[in-house]
Amino acid sequence: MLGIPLKYNVRNLFVRRVTTGLTVLGIGLVVAVFLCVMALGEGISKVFTTSGSDRNVLVLRQNSQSELQSGLGLEQVPLVLTLPGIEKDSDGKPLASAELNIVLNLDKVDGGSSNVTLRGVQEKAMRLRPGMKLTEGRMFQPGMSEAIVSESVARRFRNCAPGQTLRFGSYRWAVVGHFDAGGTAPDSEIWTDVEGMRNAFKRGGYSSVLARTTDRAGRDRFVAGLAGDARLALEGKVEKDYYGAQTSAAAPIRFFGIFVGVIMAIGACFGAMNTMYAAVSARTREIATLRALGFSRLQVLASFVFESVVLALLGGIVGCLLGLVAVKTALSGVTGTTNFATFAEVVFAFQLTPALLATGIVFSVFMGFFGGLLPASRAAFMKITDALRQVG
Amino acid sequence: MIRFLPLVLKNVFRKKTRSVLTIASILLPLFVICILGTLLAALDADPSGGKGMFRLTVRHRISITNFLPEAYLPKIRQLPGVKEVTVMNWFGGKYVDNSAKNFFARFAIDPEPFLRVFDEATVVEGSTAEWMNDRSGLMVGQVLMGKYGWRLGQQITLKGDIFPGIYTFTIRAVFKGADESGVYFDRRVLEEAVPRFKGLVGLFWIKCDSVQTVERLPKEIDAMFENSPYPTKTETEKEFQNSWVSMLGNVRLLITSITTIIVLVILLIAANTMAMSARERVTEIAVLRTLGFQRGTILGLVLGESVLLSLFGGFLGVALFVLSFPGFKQGMLSSPMGGFAAGMRLFPGILALGFGITLLVGLLSGLVPAIRSAQRPIADGLRQVG
Repeated sequence: MLGIPLKYNVRNLFVRRVTTGLTVLGIGLVVAVFLCVMALGEGISKVFTTSGSDRNVLVLRQNSQSELQSGLGLEQVPLVLTLPGIEKDSDGKPLASAELNIVLNLDKVDGGSSNVTLRGVQEKAMRLRPGMKLTEGRMFQPGMSEAIVSESVARRFRNCAPGQTLRFGSYRWAVVGHFDAGGTAPDSEIWTDVEGMRNAFKRGGYSSVLARTTDRAGRDRFVAGLAGDARLALEGKVEKDYYGAQTSAAAPIRFFGIFVGVIMAIGACFGAMNTMYAAVSARTREIATLRALGFSRLQVLASFVFESVVLALLGGIVGCLLGLVAVKTALSGVTGTTNFATFAEVVFAFQLTPALLATGIVFSVFMGFFGGLLPASRAAFMKITDALRQVG
Repeated sequence: MIRFLPLVLKNVFRKKTRSVLTIASILLPLFVICILGTLLAALDADPSGGKGMFRLTVRHRISITNFLPEAYLPKIRQLPGVKEVTVMNWFGGKYVDNSAKNFFARFAIDPEPFLRVFDEATVVEGSTAEWMNDRSGLMVGQVLMGKYGWRLGQQITLKGDIFPGIYTFTIRAVFKGADESGVYFDRRVLEEAVPRFKGLVGLFWIKCDSVQTVERLPKEIDAMFENSPYPTKTETEKEFQNSWVSMLGNVRLLITSITTIIVLVILLIAANTMAMSARERVTEIAVLRTLGFQRGTILGLVLGESVLLSLFGGFLGVALFVLSFPGFKQGMLSSPMGGFAAGMRLFPGILALGFGITLLVGLLSGLVPAIRSAQRPIADGLRQVG
């Protein structure tokens, strides 16, 4: 049983170029909007899912959701570092860094202001984050009130170029270099020496300790050791999981994207339905002829649903192209939003992944399928004799 | 022109399926436009209803997460033009769990001066006296009461993170009129539980006696503490709110561009429908012309049809939005976007914008088919089959 040739539908779409074009463009725009918003959410989550190593453990005060809420006393750090499981560096010292986190309110290049994390670190901090490298200038010198700034932050905030000075009231830091962390969390930060920072901000302790563990077993031993010591009242979180938990920062934008996308898709579905109804009514006699030739109702139904799916699929492809162009041009580069778990800016880039593009295509196929179903059944259930008699 | 209205109406509903579908495909996007517009307007909205223009906030220059010494309070109070000063600490913590659905603002404050600074809030359930008499009393915004289904006298447990510990509060008062998406309790509760936070203040709120004072004070206060270990940043309430919106990044740009694209989508769909219906009626229009209808009348008929169709969709879209708004807001509050939804209400400007957009869509989408129909020579039109 041969179906109605697919060429019949494709050519029909081409004959009604203007209508087809308008419908395709309408569906395309809906898909493009959906993709851009989802690419935004994907960009935010990517920062968190790619940040952190599963061998690093972040030590925080019990019940702290972020470093900002956490605090460790000076006397606690040596105790933490003697726990088993921590890897020893080549110099025989534990591969770990006690760090201090403060949120700075900085002026943005394009007006307004936002919070950026200033992280005070110890000398091994960079070794704990392997993807990170200096791209310009040099590392800060301890005790000199110097800072290094991520390239992404430097592009978005004022006074961040090497040679410039970051000021807050009586505090000053000379920017001496830029770094790049390959899109991970440090890309949203400014780094300086932790002891100098503790002095400047009169902090009695640290926010957290980041430690590299020997292996999985060592990691579990270290985390258990922290939990087992009631005097410390600290807890260890695998660094990767700590950042993973913050992907919830992308939840509002995801929700927003899906919400707008779905309502608009239903709207566009009605649009496609309209086009298909017009196609069916313009071809009433044709359809009757097909039926008279012996094509079954089911074949006619399938044929028109197919036509509608092709129509929407074209829209989906146009939408993906529009989305790609938008993300590569207008939305390229980094942007930022505030992660309210840390009260600080997270810098990210739009990420239009192949998986998202595939979602966009599937999305459009659904629009075409549901938009085509009713018009196609009208075509399939026409009375042949009536339809043949119809003029025009 | 009005005598043609029945004819235009007949044309609008000649193909019922098509009209219904077109109206539906305008209605839904318009619903989305109303939501987006309301979100934008909510970002700019002033929950104090204008009273905020007399208020200033003072925070640590570094950022809101750094504390200022409480000793600043008497220094600020003695400045000329200051009617009242009070403190506010962000508690953070968690209610039930850390999901976005259970997030709301929790503040530790000094009840008495707080109520004098935020005097636009009115208590609708319980009383401020009961709240102030109970050290662990909680004052709750009306929006939150509805969101969680809380009742007066109910106990609420919050788990602290910045201020470690478990705190149980009793709801003693419910207010409306100010920012209703937060809860407020006596900060002495925290100072007793975590003594090291005694005397530390996240934010000072000042109530000024005049607009002139509001303009003068920020510079004066910031200069006063410039060279201290705790430099300050003083802002008006409006600037303070804007700084939060600015922290979100280009939300405005994002929402505005999405709205623009949605308008474009409606335009495409409506234009398509109008083109289809005009094409089917070529012969008919030629007949109307032979009967003596002027080109201008034909233009008006086709344009009127598209405007009317679009307005139907627009009206239903706005109506759907208005009708579903209370339920929709309730749903939004417990969605991950809850933080943005609290300030949402029905803004007349946004509803008007919705109608404006549909009118525009109606005019633009009908323009090309209308001009074509009016311009086509009668003979051509009559000759056309189908």
